[in-house]
Amino acid sequence: MGVCVMGVGISGIAPTSTGVSYREMIKSAAEAAYQDAGIEPEDLDGAVSIEEDFVSGYSIADEYVPDQLGVVRKPVYTICGDFLQGLASAVMQIQTGRFKRIVVESYSKASNVLEKDELLSFAYDPVYERLGISPHYLAAIEMQRFLDMSLHTEGDVAEVVARNRARAIGNPLAPYGARISPADVLAGRPVATPLTDSMIARHADGAVAFVLGSDDVIETCRKPVWITGTGWASGNSVIHRRNHGISVGTVLAGRMAYAEAGIDVPAEELDVFYVNDLYAHRQLMHMDALGLTDDQLPVINPNGGVQGMGDLLEANSGVQLYDAILQLRGHAGGHQIPGASRALVHGWRGLPTDTAAVAILDAERR
Amino acid sequence: MSRVACIGAGMTRFVRRAEESPGELAALAVERALEDAGLDIDDIDCVIQGTAPDAFDGIHMNGENLTAGSGGVNKPYMRHFVGGGTGVFSPIHGWMHVASGKFKNCLVVCEEKMSTCVPHPAGAFLTIFDHTTEQPLELTLIHIFALEMARMMHVYGYTEEEIAWVSVNNKLNAMDHPAAQIAKKITVQDVMNSPMLSWPVKRYDISPTSDGACAIVLANERVARNHCKTPVFIEGVGFRLDTAYWCTRDLAFPNYVAMAAKDAYDMAGISRPEDQIDIWEPYDPFDYKALHHMNGLLMDRTGRKVKDLLFSGAFARDGSHPLCPSGGALGVGNPIAATGLMKIAELYFQLSGQAGARQVKKNAHRGIAQAWGDLMQVGTVVVMGSEGGMPIHSRASAWNDVKPEDLPGTSINDVKDVPHIEYSPNLPYSWDNGFAITTYLDGLKKGKLRGSYCTDCGRMMVPPRQFCEICNLRSVDMYFDLPDSGVVETFTISNVNWASLPLPDGKQDLFAVIAIDGAADQMGIVHKLGEVDPKDIQIGMRVKAVWKPEAEREGTITDIAYFRPMKDGEVVEVEPIMVKPSELTNISAKSFPGKIPLDYAYTAGIGGRKFYEDLAQGKLSGTWNDEREVVMIPPTHFCETGMHTLDPQGDARELDPESGYVVAATQVFEDRAGHTLDEPVWIVQVEFHDAYGTLFGRLIDVDEDEIEIGMGVALVATDKVGPEHICFRPI
Repeated sequence: MGVCVMGVGISGIAPTSTGVSYREMIKSAAEAAYQDAGIEPEDLDGAVSIEEDFVSGYSIADEYVPDQLGVVRKPVYTICGDFLQGLASAVMQIQTGRFKRIVVESYSKASNVLEKDELLSFAYDPVYERLGISPHYLAAIEMQRFLDMSLHTEGDVAEVVARNRARAIGNPLAPYGARISPADVLAGRPVATPLTDSMIARHADGAVAFVLGSDDVIETCRKPVWITGTGWASGNSVIHRRNHGISVGTVLAGRMAYAEAGIDVPAEELDVFYVNDLYAHRQLMHMDALGLTDDQLPVINPNGGVQGMGDLLEANSGVQLYDAILQLRGHAGGHQIPGASRALVHGWRGLPTDTAAVAILDAERR
Repeated sequence: MSRVACIGAGMTRFVRRAEESPGELAALAVERALEDAGLDIDDIDCVIQGTAPDAFDGIHMNGENLTAGSGGVNKPYMRHFVGGGTGVFSPIHGWMHVASGKFKNCLVVCEEKMSTCVPHPAGAFLTIFDHTTEQPLELTLIHIFALEMARMMHVYGYTEEEIAWVSVNNKLNAMDHPAAQIAKKITVQDVMNSPMLSWPVKRYDISPTSDGACAIVLANERVARNHCKTPVFIEGVGFRLDTAYWCTRDLAFPNYVAMAAKDAYDMAGISRPEDQIDIWEPYDPFDYKALHHMNGLLMDRTGRKVKDLLFSGAFARDGSHPLCPSGGALGVGNPIAATGLMKIAELYFQLSGQAGARQVKKNAHRGIAQAWGDLMQVGTVVVMGSEGGMPIHSRASAWNDVKPEDLPGTSINDVKDVPHIEYSPNLPYSWDNGFAITTYLDGLKKGKLRGSYCTDCGRMMVPPRQFCEICNLRSVDMYFDLPDSGVVETFTISNVNWASLPLPDGKQDLFAVIAIDGAADQMGIVHKLGEVDPKDIQIGMRVKAVWKPEAEREGTITDIAYFRPMKDGEVVEVEPIMVKPSELTNISAKSFPGKIPLDYAYTAGIGGRKFYEDLAQGKLSGTWNDEREVVMIPPTHFCETGMHTLDPQGDARELDPESGYVVAATQVFEDRAGHTLDEPVWIVQVEFHDAYGTLFGRLIDVDEDEIEIGMGVALVATDKVGPEHICFRPI
């Protein structure tokens, strides 16, 4: 059974969103997605939200999902994971044949969380991993191990930041467009050597929503984009026995998605790529894991990536997915990749995890 | 759509406090489930994890931390969540994985370690309420349960004694369950005599807080038939989530459960559930909840069917409609997500004839399990069936004869009895109020209760919304000042505070759901009552807000001190008055402050205990893993890639603590919250000869110029427990 994205919606992205409650923010994204899909909330068979309790500030955050999506008393659940894991879950739900249209939603009110590093520290294992220092220490270890194992340099990592932030200037949705040189990035305030502050994406607020539909209900939407492959996987959560130079989660997620979409040589068969760059070294690490090289750089993260769009926590790869859909519809404006018809979106859960997910999208049904 | 069957189950004992870490608990359940299914972890295509709020285990993104213990390493692994309904939603999510055709099988794991949250895990429930409009009242879960129980008693005419029978039944049934935490033979009078926590809820009406894990293996029909003589198929699934505005809901009848049940029945082809289902495992965190949920599962708003079954003795294990033959949450224990999955496991045991002494008398071939959670809001339902029914004791199965001592899980009395780590996260928030709530809070500051009006459904809604949640998100632009009076819909007289600790000096809090005059039917808010003798409170009583003096009002729900009973003949304004909503400017757009006020005490676990005991003696050991033929560090209770348990004490292999060498080093300039450190610290990742794994810790007593990859370091002895105290020094 084919599953497609029928409609997309986004609330707008900004470093803060004072004056708009999370309910109002999510509602604006959801309404946009419903209008785009040509449906009303009552046409939905259910919803999947992607969020984490301590980010929302609620215990049992899924309580607060149905109202602003207009799906009160419908089948609704939450995935505590990467946005693309929630997407994949919704795809499977439709493929059971018992659900036709599902809305998938995530949001960030990162600006409402006043101690974000403290919160990130709280994600580390209490017995062995909370070292009482910046949780970014693990990114520094990763970056070193990756640079040791690969042919990349610190300068390459800084280039990722400079390139993605510059691209964001051309993307009206991206709050973190900037002209910054690789030298500036390297000379930035040190957080944990060799990691500087400029290599870590800054937080942002925003909400995204997508209406997914099975192939027999797409008549209401103008331009369906097909989800032809999904993959997700977790590397070892025990950081003491994880290889920090590679993202095993990404390797496995990529393989799974490629196999499902029938892709043998991703660099040749896909037109545009969104590769998680929450920490700049991670983009390079993820490219390796996905079989991509510097040759694809012109078509990787054309929207500015997470560096340019901001860190929207669980919503991160939803924001990238939004741009991918625009690309495949030919609606990406100034950063449109000409003729893009197949896209890859990759998401990573962030530290301290090696959990990753990949979705393959097609403008035409295959 | 592929049919999906359960082909194996495993669980730990459910205990008040486990020594095992959350990951260790999960791993113990997984090992048993794989063994029962006759599979290795390598045979498993995907893994899913269900655990209720992170606030219990005390780990943000807890699902990620549980990857290793759940068998999710190097696999498609995902965590799902519907609060307390998670346990029964878990097999539904697993069903999606397999029924979609994407995977042949799925390992479903649920874990909960509530004891980590101190002083009492109930404190975590403060933050389930709306952070801006409800949390300032300092509510907890017992209050909301008590409000619901009181409402159900009022509507259906139950007495406390009648409801207490469920607690008696379930605790008795649990005496035959090997995982049971509080199995006991008690009487209705024992329940009535147990301490009153929040009228009408007494101690014995409630399930305990628990630590535990449960796992099952699901497979498609082909795999199931190849691997299992007695697969039990998932015949129907349903899950429904109601609005978060819980005070506007019918608290007596769980519509969301009935709707979820209907979905499951439609899928299973069931039209007369009371005749076509043999075994009932409704969620029973409180005794009344089992009956409340049964009304939903029987889709009977009148409540007559459940009353007839209850009073006729049909719910006994040997009766016609066995209710919670497992012993349920009230008897087996309630590690929330694991409890729901335990109920699924019970259906698997019963319907495959391996429930041992718990096997129901009737020849059962179909059962239903249900869980519930969130703000009285979610129903998750699974109908399972075997083919033609299983003869009693049809299968010589290990599960028929399992004794408590056969199940893994180590019970401890006090976390202080074992190596442990205390931790207090500092998690302040400031929530953007947005348009509607700004108007609400501004009203409170002026001594007015405000609502907004949906012209589509005609509901006057309080607190006001900017859109209508039941009218396709229609915009709502009309705001009104409402009368500050209303009717008590339900109430509770509480002896405990939000953290479930006794209120001082015999003080009592009186909470009520109050339907506000001028608002839509049953449109209520939760608040406190005052100026009233508790014994005079009645459902249907008219009450009026008592406001704090204007100078003390801050724009919060506690600007109303409480609601007092209205006097005879007292007249109030009942007409709403349309008002101009608040205009949002840079000054008026505010956010509401809050904090998650929780503290934690983590056990080091079976692996961590060995590490920290060694560290105190200046020693280091690894755990011998016979299957992989490696010595694993840090010491571990299980192999995360093989999913078999290891013995960190018995299979310890001593390592030279001075044989470490640095594989990565970073100088860190900020503390755990991102504030600049006075003195940067060096963190190193260290390998040891002949060991698989590394250690992370601080590098101390070192000259910066000396630091290089490969440098030799020694682990520094300390009797302090916790990762902050793991240090290395150069050799």
